[in-house]
Amino acid sequence: MAHTTSRRSSRLRAAGILALTTSVVLAGCSTSGDAPSADGEIEPATITFAASTFGDPGLGPRLQELIDEYNQSQDVVTIEPAAVPFPTFGQTVLTQMGGGEGPDLVRFDMPEFTSAADAGLLEPLDDQIDADSLDLQPGPDEYMSVDDTRYGVIFDTSNYVMYYNTTLIPTPPTDFDEFMATAKATTQGDVFGLAFRQTQAEENGVWQDIFNYVYGFGGEWSDGEELTLNKPENIEGLEAYQSLYDADVIPKGADAATFRKMFAQDKVGMELNNGGYLVATRGTNPELQFSVAPIPFPVRAQGAIMAPLVINANSEHKDAALDFMNWVLEPQQQTSLQEALGASSVATVTERSEEQLAETPFLPVYDELTNSSKPQIVLGFGPQTADIRKIVVTEVISALQGQKSMQEAMDDAQAEAEQLVG
Amino acid sequence: MSADAAITARRRGRRKSPLGSRWTPYLFLLPAAAYIVLFQAIPLVQEAYLSFTRTNLLNPTRSTWIGLDNYVDIFTSSDFQQTLLTTLVYVLVCVIGAVGSGLVVALLLNSDFPGRGVARALVTVPWAAPGIATALIATWMLNAQYGIITQALRAIGIDVGASGILDNPQLALVAILATTIWQLFPFVAVVLLSALQSVPAELVEAAEMDGANRRWVFRVVTWQVIKPTVGLIALLMTIWSLRRFELIWLMTRGGPLGTTRTLVIDLYSQAFDSKQIGAAAAIGMVGILIALIVVVGSRFVQSAAERSTP
Amino acid sequence: MRASRLGVTARMIGVLVILGIAVFPIYWMLTTALTSDADLFAETPRLLPDLTRLHVFAEALTEGPTLIWLANSAIIAVGTTVLSIALGIPLAYALSRFSFRGKIAVGLLLLMTQMLPEALMVVPLFSLYRRFDLLDSLPGLILANTAFVLPIVALVLKGAIDGIPRELEEAARVDGTRPLGVLLRINIPLIAPSIAAAAVIAFFHAWNEYVFAVTFIFDKALQPASVGLAGFIGEQGTSTQTIMAVAFMFTLPAVAFYLFAQKYVVAGMTAGAVKG
Repeated sequence: MAHTTSRRSSRLRAAGILALTTSVVLAGCSTSGDAPSADGEIEPATITFAASTFGDPGLGPRLQELIDEYNQSQDVVTIEPAAVPFPTFGQTVLTQMGGGEGPDLVRFDMPEFTSAADAGLLEPLDDQIDADSLDLQPGPDEYMSVDDTRYGVIFDTSNYVMYYNTTLIPTPPTDFDEFMATAKATTQGDVFGLAFRQTQAEENGVWQDIFNYVYGFGGEWSDGEELTLNKPENIEGLEAYQSLYDADVIPKGADAATFRKMFAQDKVGMELNNGGYLVATRGTNPELQFSVAPIPFPVRAQGAIMAPLVINANSEHKDAALDFMNWVLEPQQQTSLQEALGASSVATVTERSEEQLAETPFLPVYDELTNSSKPQIVLGFGPQTADIRKIVVTEVISALQGQKSMQEAMDDAQAEAEQLVG
Repeated sequence: MSADAAITARRRGRRKSPLGSRWTPYLFLLPAAAYIVLFQAIPLVQEAYLSFTRTNLLNPTRSTWIGLDNYVDIFTSSDFQQTLLTTLVYVLVCVIGAVGSGLVVALLLNSDFPGRGVARALVTVPWAAPGIATALIATWMLNAQYGIITQALRAIGIDVGASGILDNPQLALVAILATTIWQLFPFVAVVLLSALQSVPAELVEAAEMDGANRRWVFRVVTWQVIKPTVGLIALLMTIWSLRRFELIWLMTRGGPLGTTRTLVIDLYSQAFDSKQIGAAAAIGMVGILIALIVVVGSRFVQSAAERSTP
Repeated sequence: MRASRLGVTARMIGVLVILGIAVFPIYWMLTTALTSDADLFAETPRLLPDLTRLHVFAEALTEGPTLIWLANSAIIAVGTTVLSIALGIPLAYALSRFSFRGKIAVGLLLLMTQMLPEALMVVPLFSLYRRFDLLDSLPGLILANTAFVLPIVALVLKGAIDGIPRELEEAARVDGTRPLGVLLRINIPLIAPSIAAAAVIAFFHAWNEYVFAVTFIFDKALQPASVGLAGFIGEQGTSTQTIMAVAFMFTLPAVAFYLFAQKYVVAGMTAGAVKG
């Protein structure tokens, strides 16, 4: 590990210089907590890192390995996973941060990232990260700034693809009509052709799922300035979504945890899901025969779960947090992080290893989609995404339940949302 | 000495000081009262203030005063009428269901039979189970394809639709109510059992030996002794029902179509989804107002009942 | 005679039905915990637990910090129970026996505290705790839980004390016993069942409490089981079997506590009772 050690000390020195410069620059603004000593050494500290993925049975342990590697590679900073479970992740972390506390490092999802940045809870990173020297993937990276200030760096970004069971479906569909036909043909007995979330209890999940239909049919929720919830392309995409619901090709009433288990047991033929699902499925059933293909909708644009890594503005050990962030952005860690994540992409462009490609030949499918993926927020209305999401999902579900047509539902949503954002 | 043992010792010490009888009540009250004021009354006052502001969860110290706007929004919203109605139904059914079944269970368990101790302990299981686990197992049991309850219903000829009970606007609330009553009845049973145990056995035996009929004994002796406790439990259950949310949040989140959305679900959504803790506080105040009306109303009912009893 | 035997049988059947309803979902938790993924989606459900898969429990115990969680939950629950009973008994006694100014207001305030949803209290309490450095500590959680549970404990105990004839206390007072002595030697033994009930209420509330625990605790080593359990619900997958196994193990100590409270607390207190 000699070369790591020398790189480590040169990185420490670089970080130290950055920290020193930053502290001089910030001296006038006197923010809380960290003052590196004059020679640029980082104050020894134990800091917390909150990520909802720690609780994932497949991904969690791998992330823990990464952190252990960091902790073992030096003895100045120790990272501990913060104790925040996934079901209440956003509300817990945001309550803590709003109250002046919170974990030092957080892996957020996009709506919470924009809310937190908007509220001034995140440490600006323009002066801390040398963005130009890193080979950051432009697609996701453009969403890391709010109001022209960078607040985060991509930790992982997971593009949505179509997973399909190769035993049940030898040839994947390539357009929507084939998609519907395949779903219908596969649905027999206790096997379903497709699965997606459709209940209010999984509001966030429904929101994520319908993004693919909206983007995939050329629609969008806003043009950056105005809300366009009831755009014709959106309606087309959502009607496609509804047609699948009405065709009874999905296990209605099953929640995501259940139908994902079903997929792993050859009971569901296809599912639109993101890269993180690869590791999860392999973990549930290593014997499963499946592959992935791009989502067969008219437009090649899909949602992605973009997860920025941020530094808490309340943190008392920002230099330590920054050190970890820089460490993660190093090429060697980027590669091992991507390997740990499975099919997701990381901040920089990386190469897949031979073994990875041999084990999972369809990995390039994910990687090629990174720059055509869009985040799952309402662009230009990041902090209000949660509210808009509630309105849209409620209306979509009422259309699914037959209360009104999808057009009416989206018109109502548009009116309600416009009133909300003022 | 651990922190809380030290606190307790300090407070006990305060009680032992031999002051005159005028101060004794206050000494008995002081520790608990100070405690409650600090941890409940202060936040309550803060919440009352917040309800008149627009405040973001992420910046709780920066509030904009907007007067009655939050309340106006609440009362002019058509959704709120549904929320209010759902809340009322939820509260009524929960209280009657839990108190009724809890009473029956307490009466059943109040006699001597082999395994009585074990039976009483087992009855507390629904209450002891963590809410998250209850929500998960209930959702699984109600699963449209594989849930044991759905399959049992299908076996006796009842078809609950392709989406299952929890997705059915007519039935979701029923499922929530059933699960909630299952969770609540042990609490009622435990408290009422302890009340039943303080019914003087001699009185009951004497009445029975005189040949009195069971029902008469219950009405005249037992019921009189446990009536205050039943009243208290009913009142508590009512107030608590206004804030129970874990099961609903995890099982249906207020859906489908808002048919399980109670006041507190709305509050939660406002606070943590929309991040508007001012609006959430206003909803909370409305809930407290309703609870207050219930408490005052029950006082009236109680004094009216007392007046009519000879 | 026949009538009462029918009555006994009916009673027994009633008890069995009640127990069945109460216990079945927990039994189902156990069965589900022991069901393999493939069997979960079988045509006909397994009705009996597959005991060959007990390793799930062993894994749950060793893989996660389950024992630490249970220990933390125990500390929080026992602390809350002790503190709320210690503060609640004098409060209940005062509310029952003394008349003083503001008594009605106090009673009303106690009831009002029960109307506050935890979600509403989290934000103001967070800033309060921050100022007093109570965050990330088990005593902090004990204090928060006691605040919620104390009013109920006091009200339940007040109801019980109300039921004790004043003559008993007056007799003791005439003998020269101070109010505190009356409390200790007369009232407490007589309301023992209600103290046990109140202790169980306090214990169960603190044992299952989630919202405060998840917001105020940052250190993984201090997490109680209620939060740890939620940690098994992941974004991409939920290890249902593990959750059910841990949930099953989480339910047992609370039930055991009830058994303990019923048997020993009541017996211990009535042993030294002064029979009036």
